[in-house]
This record gives sequence, structure tokens and C-alpha cells, in this order.
Amino acid sequence: MVDGLGDVLARPPQPPAPDGIAALRTALDDGARAARSVGGWNQDEPLRLSKRLVTGLLRCPRRALSDDQGAGGDDVAVGWVVDAAAKLAAVSPRRQVNVDAAVAFLTALGDSTVAEHLADLGPAAARLTSDATARIDRLAASLARVDAGWWPRVEDPVRVPLAGGAVTVAGRIDVLLGGPPTGRPGVIVEVKGGRWHDAMRADGHLYALLVALRDGEVPASAVTLVSDGTTHVEHIRPALLQHAAERLDESMRVAARLAAGEPPATLPGAHCGHCPVRPDCPAGRAWRPPGDGAASAP
Amino acid sequence: MPSRGNRFRPVEGEATSSGRGTDDLDLASPEPVASGPPTARHGASDPVGTADRLRAETSKRIAGALAGVLSPGALGDVYVGWVAAREAATCPARYRGEGEHGWGFPGWSPPLAGGACGRAALAHHVAEADRAGRPAALPMPLDAIRVWMRALRAPGVTGDGRTPPVERGSVGDWICDVWDAGDPATLAAVAALGGRWMAGFVRVLGWPLPSGLTLLNAPGPAAVSALRWRPDAAAPVTVACGADARLGRVTGAGGFALVVHRVTTGDDDALRVRAAFEAAAAALAIGVAPGSVLITAGDTGDRVTVPVDDDLLALGAERIVIVVEQRVVALERGFDPTDATPSGACRHCDHLADCPPGQAWTHMAARWRGGLPVL
Repeated sequence: MVDGLGDVLARPPQPPAPDGIAALRTALDDGARAARSVGGWNQDEPLRLSKRLVTGLLRCPRRALSDDQGAGGDDVAVGWVVDAAAKLAAVSPRRQVNVDAAVAFLTALGDSTVAEHLADLGPAAARLTSDATARIDRLAASLARVDAGWWPRVEDPVRVPLAGGAVTVAGRIDVLLGGPPTGRPGVIVEVKGGRWHDAMRADGHLYALLVALRDGEVPASAVTLVSDGTTHVEHIRPALLQHAAERLDESMRVAARLAAGEPPATLPGAHCGHCPVRPDCPAGRAWRPPGDGAASAP
Repeated sequence: MPSRGNRFRPVEGEATSSGRGTDDLDLASPEPVASGPPTARHGASDPVGTADRLRAETSKRIAGALAGVLSPGALGDVYVGWVAAREAATCPARYRGEGEHGWGFPGWSPPLAGGACGRAALAHHVAEADRAGRPAALPMPLDAIRVWMRALRAPGVTGDGRTPPVERGSVGDWICDVWDAGDPATLAAVAALGGRWMAGFVRVLGWPLPSGLTLLNAPGPAAVSALRWRPDAAAPVTVACGADARLGRVTGAGGFALVVHRVTTGDDDALRVRAAFEAAAAALAIGVAPGSVLITAGDTGDRVTVPVDDDLLALGAERIVIVVEQRVVALERGFDPTDATPSGACRHCDHLADCPPGQAWTHMAARWRGGLPVL
């Protein structure tokens, strides 16, 4: 399934025409100005939205505002290793990418968190390393086959200021291929260290929107490479950009109400299972997965 | 597990530097600026006279700041680049408290070297095309970085003088050291960050690069190595311009533009201040005032032109002088919270535990994050 990226690059689809980008920007700017009037942000103290915060505000505002965004741990560390391995493969396609190389790459970039975590684990790090190794191989192989003409760049930063800078939406694309000035269509690659779930699509849609707003050209595809072996390929259509813009607009509305002092709503769901604020959240504690008999218990 | 941090990133939201002395600005500046295409226009009516007056005035103010120093040797070298200018102006107490270790160049690392390597590799790419007598093809960033790295290690070929060894510069020497040390992770990190710098630079400025563009702070025949100014031979002060490129030729008529490229534009100082510093530093170093400063940003794709006038140059010179003044003050007192100026930098400040204003700020800031309340 990982060959999906190779298929996209071999036969990239025609991206949508850029005609609708200006209208999307205007609509988002209008939404941001309306939100600013409620939220009170300005250039010096703006609302800073990321893909995580956009999703968080729509999923459960109570959790999105939590000071505790969830402790790290072995699973998180594995995700970072997988992410780094994929980027290393994109940068050094001829190199053997393994856990040690990925951790060294992270450290060289200035992030020693994983190296320190492994050192703290001592011999117990072997399980983590083994888990990461199993996830890396296919991802790395997929990205290592990208030819240089696609201009692979890792952690490509993108930021869209709205409402005169009172709202900014920013992100770093794991791997960005093509796009101006390469003469090839843009392809967004998102790397996920865990298991595939449908909500991951939204990240690719948001990044496609941000890149379109930045570059004035719509990317052709968003490809999500997941370490469980899933490759999700989504060719960008105007409707997807519109949907991403609507989500972004709604997240600004939610943020505005929160900044104005409205109590955050609690929206229980599957995310409650690993929510760090669940102990203090009656709705979250009461939530049970569908089909769980305890859900209907008094 | 501790929160994920970056030991090379002293300021939250600050991403990879575009090289020594070329980082940090905020395109969301409240200052009025004019947007425009990347052309070299604007300009003072007397660019040479303007630069002469700036040199004289700045020299006089620096001399005044140094006049009270009883033991010049105790002051050490005062290197005034953009980072020092920003630090000294935004929180003098913190800047003084950095001490010799913080004032000096911390040594190359991938995040610091990304911009320098990107510039050097692009300059090498252009120079190779010039040598071959053909227009430079659109560079493929990662390949261009690799070609440059290999060229650094290759000796000059034959005795015909047609392929001289590549000028390394400081960052090139470091790359060779890393290579010799067998550290592929660092080389890969440099390739990633240098390639990203080059990709953003080329994407925002366009290809072919604008006519009359010359890379600055890069080695080789297709670039200008460094723009530095010293008030006089005896002064321990060096002012460094960190611009990435120049648009147009330097002539007595002025009119050329500086180009400052930023990979990202986060919680940085105002665009106008950055432009002011680089314009003043360039005018001091070259002896001709630039006509404008073109700020480009990789993350937004923006190109913003800041016209250079007397007020802008005065602002830049002021920032230069502040650095010298604070280094002199530091001879008597290092960190002192009486003139601490709290900001987002407090979160990472080594002196926070001894700084009541900083503690008060961080206490307040902890209740808000990115424009939203924290619960």
C-alpha cells in the first residue's frame, strides 16, 4: 500500500485551477475579522492556530484549552522516531535509515528529547526500539524513492495571517514535494506514527488549503503515510479546500467565544479514552464506546 | 518525558535561523510598509553623504559609550549583529547577563548553519554555471547542497587554473570537520535545513533570480563574503550586516536594495526594526546607503519592501549603539532585574529565577496560550 506515493508521483493528477483561492482567502479573512471582534486579538497578541488546535477546538474545546496536553511516553517517542526516519529518508535517500540514525538526526536538529528518553529507559528501551524498527522500514523505503526533481523538503513551514495578522494559521508540512517553482504539482506528505483513523484526513486538507493560500497554486494530492502500513491518498478537489476552510472558520468562531470568556464545551467521544483532563470531566468519565454496556448504566 | 524542546532555540516560536546574524523578524509589523516586487528602487538623494554622516555619528556615539571604560581589555570584542541588537534592546538585563559565552558566536550547529549553507550552496551553483558560461538551471535544493559539500572537499583540479578549489568560508570549514568526524546525522540535518532555506529563497524570489541579485555572506566568486564595519582600527567593536543578498550594483548613486530572507516569521521583532538594523549596518560597511530593504518570508511567501530613509537609518544606528552601551554597563553589573523587560523570551531565560518582572510576566502568560485561555 505504501506504493501509493510512488503511484502519485508517477502519475500526478491535475490539480484544481487556482481560481477559487482568492474567494477562500476573502471568506476566511471575513471570518477572522468577525472572530477578532469577539476574541479581541491583535497583531501583537494574535490567535495562533495550528492543525492540532483547529482539530482540538472542534473536537472538544475543554480539552483544547487544557494546560495538560498529555504526557509523552513510549508511544509518543516511537511516533517521533518514525516521523524523523521518514524525513531522514527523504533527505538522504541513499542512506540506510534505522532507529539509531533517526534519533541521531533528531538530535542533530536540536531535539534531544527522544535520545534522553531512550537513555532514561536503559535496557527497557529495547522494546521501544523494536517497535519503531518495525514501523520504519516501509515508510523510509517509500520516501527514499522520491527523485530530486520533486524538490523534497522536510518540515516546510507555512503560515497564513488573517485579519491583518490578528489570527495566524501555521504549520510545518512533514514532506512537501513539487509545487512552485518546480513545474510539478504540489504533493503534501504527512507522516503519522500511530494507527490510521479517518480524522487524519483533516490535517492533509488543512495543509492543502494553507499551501494553496501561500503559493497561489492548489496542491494536487495529500498523502498520509501511516506507520501501520496504511497509505491514504487524497487528490485535492475544490470541495475539500472548501471543507477545510469551513472547519477553520468554525474553529475561529469557537476560539473567539472562548477568548471572550465563554466556558468551554465538553464534547465527549473516542478521544476521551486518552484525555489528560478526563479525571476532572464528568462527561468524559461517563462516556463509553458505542456498544459498551456500561454506557447505558445509570 | 520532558516537553519537546530544542537546545538550539532560545526563543519560543523561533525557527531555524537563516544564518549567523540573519534571523528573526515579524512580518506582521504594525509599522506601515509598502509591498512590492523585488526590484532595487527607492534611495536617498545622497547615499554616499548619508552613509558618511551615519559613520561619523555612529563612531562618535560608540566612542562616547567607550569613553568611560578604564580597562579596554576587560570589554573584549563587541560583535554587533542582528541577534545582539535585538537582545540588547528587548531586555538589556538579559543581554548583559549572557556574559562572554552568550555574547560570542556559539559555534556552528545545523539550525544555525542552515541559512549559511543554503546561501553557500546556491552561490556555488551559480558560480559553476558562470564558469561554464551558461545560465544557471533551477537548482534542486538537496542536490545543490550535496554538490557543494562534495566540492568543499575536492582539491582544485590540474594546473590550468580553470577549476580552483572551492572557497569554504567558516561554515564550509565546519562542514569539512563534520565530514572528517564521520557524523552523517549532522550532515543530513544540514542538508535538510540548508535545502529548506534554498527552496524558500528561490520560491519567494522566483527563478531565474531577479536580475542584479548578488548573494551576501557567502563564499565564492558569485557572492560577497561579508559586510563588516569597525568604527576605527583601535575600537573593539565590529558591526555585521546579516543580509542574504543585494539587488542592484553598489554605485555612488545608491539605489540598491538589501534582501533579508526568513524561513519563518514567528515571535520576532518588528520587521521595520530588522530592516533598520540591516540598512544601517550595510550603509556603515559599504559606505553607501541602500535604497530599500526587501524582506522575504518562506512560510508566508511574502515580499515586503521597506524604503530606507534617515529615520530608518537612525533607528538602526540606535540599535547598534545600544549593544555597545550595554556591554559597557555589563562591566559594572551583569544581570540586574531593575531594567528587565519581560517578553516571551522570559520562558527560556536563565535568569528567570532571579527576575521578579519576568516571573510576574510568565505567571500572567501561563494563563493564556496562543490567544486562548489555559485551564
